[in-house]
Amino acid sequence: MTQVRARYYDGKTSQQREVLIWAEPSGRLRVIGDGVDFSCAIAEVRPSPRVGNTRRHLRFADGSLCETEDNDAVDRIFAGLPSEAPGRLIHLWESRLGYAALALALTAAALWAGITYGIPALAKQVAFSLPPSTEKALGRDALAGLDRILLSPTQLPAARREELRALFSRLASGLEGAGDYRLELRSSKKLGANALALPSGVVVVTDQLVQLASDDNEIAAVLAHEIGHLRYRHALRRLLQDSATVLLVAAVTGDLTSIASLASALPAMLLQAKYSRDFEREADEFALDTMKRHGIPAESFAAILLRIEQRRGASADVPDYLSTHPATRERAERSRAAR
Amino acid sequence: MANSSAAPQSAGSAVSLRFTGEAGEYFRIWIVNICLSVVTLGIYSAWAKVRRKRYFYGNTLLEDAAFEYLADPKAILKGRIIVVAAFAVYSLAGHINPLAGPLLGLVLLGVLPWLIVRALRFNAVNSAHRNVRFGFRAGYGETARLLILPVILVPLTLGVLYPYYAYRKKRFFLEHSSFGATPFAFTASAGEYYLVYLKAALMFVLFLVGSAATVGLGALPLYIWFAAYRDGAVARLTWESTRLGGLRFGCAWRTGGLFKLYFLNSLGVIFSAGLLAPWAAVRAARYQLERISLGPRGEIGAFLAAAQEERSAIGDEAGDLLGFDFGV
Repeated sequence: MTQVRARYYDGKTSQQREVLIWAEPSGRLRVIGDGVDFSCAIAEVRPSPRVGNTRRHLRFADGSLCETEDNDAVDRIFAGLPSEAPGRLIHLWESRLGYAALALALTAAALWAGITYGIPALAKQVAFSLPPSTEKALGRDALAGLDRILLSPTQLPAARREELRALFSRLASGLEGAGDYRLELRSSKKLGANALALPSGVVVVTDQLVQLASDDNEIAAVLAHEIGHLRYRHALRRLLQDSATVLLVAAVTGDLTSIASLASALPAMLLQAKYSRDFEREADEFALDTMKRHGIPAESFAAILLRIEQRRGASADVPDYLSTHPATRERAERSRAAR
Repeated sequence: MANSSAAPQSAGSAVSLRFTGEAGEYFRIWIVNICLSVVTLGIYSAWAKVRRKRYFYGNTLLEDAAFEYLADPKAILKGRIIVVAAFAVYSLAGHINPLAGPLLGLVLLGVLPWLIVRALRFNAVNSAHRNVRFGFRAGYGETARLLILPVILVPLTLGVLYPYYAYRKKRFFLEHSSFGATPFAFTASAGEYYLVYLKAALMFVLFLVGSAATVGLGALPLYIWFAAYRDGAVARLTWESTRLGGLRFGCAWRTGGLFKLYFLNSLGVIFSAGLLAPWAAVRAARYQLERISLGPRGEIGAFLAAAQEERSAIGDEAGDLLGFDFGV
């Protein structure tokens, strides 16, 4: 039987004693050395798990322990114990570079799947189960933030503002939670012709967009699209998705300091956070449905889309409103097909 | 007093710690830890933490014996679940009722001293050397009084009291820590901490002036130089003021060595998109541990163990999440 060199500590003092350990055929472990001589059943000894080349500690029932570098011998002695199987499996995985590469690939794949599928599905669940009041504070803060950096008061005459508000309520009427929806008109040189849906049911439309539209049907198309975002809680879902993604990446890379800056980035994130194509399609379909119900011709939708794109091409000042939207041509086609 | 030029201890009788970890080996453990944590949606992270700490403890040798980390992953998992649930309740409550947020915040502040003591104790009793566990004991009131410094007094004095807080924190930690039945002792004075931080502040001014003079190009290296100077000076003062029974500690961290360590580690981690993080962790452990020494040699085998007790990991996890840095 092979003997293993180890150091024995009785657990009462830090005194060290050299000992030899071996497994006896009877299934007992024998420990002999400097003033130490005992044996105990192998099944009663608790070996520490194997982690790299670190030393193993064998704990005995009386609180004493043996420390040894001879990992392979320890593995042989305890090979029969089922309690050691999971630890051996993990160590096997950690012991080859090829297996580690597999772990790297698996991590990358799991992260990718989580970010593209898992988080959006989870965000949808959470967004629809949160009470609407949850969004209130978020929406208020986001609007206040935008007002500070990007938006200025509207220049439209009061009568025109009233007309637009009435149009908005007409389009939103009958929807669940529509009582909380409201239209905010703002002027913004930086945003140009633009419309945003914020959490808590706020739609912001710029004066520039109102002026760009050739008639109220085109404005109705934009409003219906933004109401679609509200209806499906896209802003909250996007926010949840972005935060979850940051948290996930932070948890994996072990850097949680970025959380602090998350809250302050909310207004900017809402802008850059261009809604994904799926959100846009959902809002488009909702808009076309709503327009049909109100007898608004579907080509108004295509017309305002093309006009916004034209304007975007003409002026570099207008940010990338459509960049994560489906191709304008495709959206216009679909709106014509819906006629 | 931090004495950067003298040898750590009267040579001959002092022993340095050794670190035997290897970057390649730790990389494999690290990536398997991450992979299993991600795939199990975070549940494995408790086991991952134990494996990581076991690797670093187990590769730290004093004379002919390794350190050992003994925490039970299931206790850590339970602690994590409770802490995550508490944070979820706290962050949701603020949205549902505007009064609930501040109220829960007050409750959290009230349990904070208790959490800190639990965290320190959990870590201590699960750390062992030569089958003797470390220990930590402190009262709620004393911990709460210490916390008044960072929460109220340091901000109120615009940081002037920070060196005093740093000193009190180390003293609190060391004077309540023990190895087996033997308590640690701390001999530094607040004045010595002020001197060290004053010199560090001058290095910070140097960093500001230098960054401006090089139009920002020198900002990163100069900042790392400042951090290396500060960390080295504080560590030398702290270790050299620490006693354990008849044992004295020495610390030979040098500004130049720490600068090289920090600088290469940052470059490596940034340019490898984080894949060199295990390499950086192993390098840091090797530099920092191998420059800690203690002696005289004969005293190391003569410590008595204390009566043992198990602790749950709730405090430990709160400490992790809130980013307490209480260790020496």
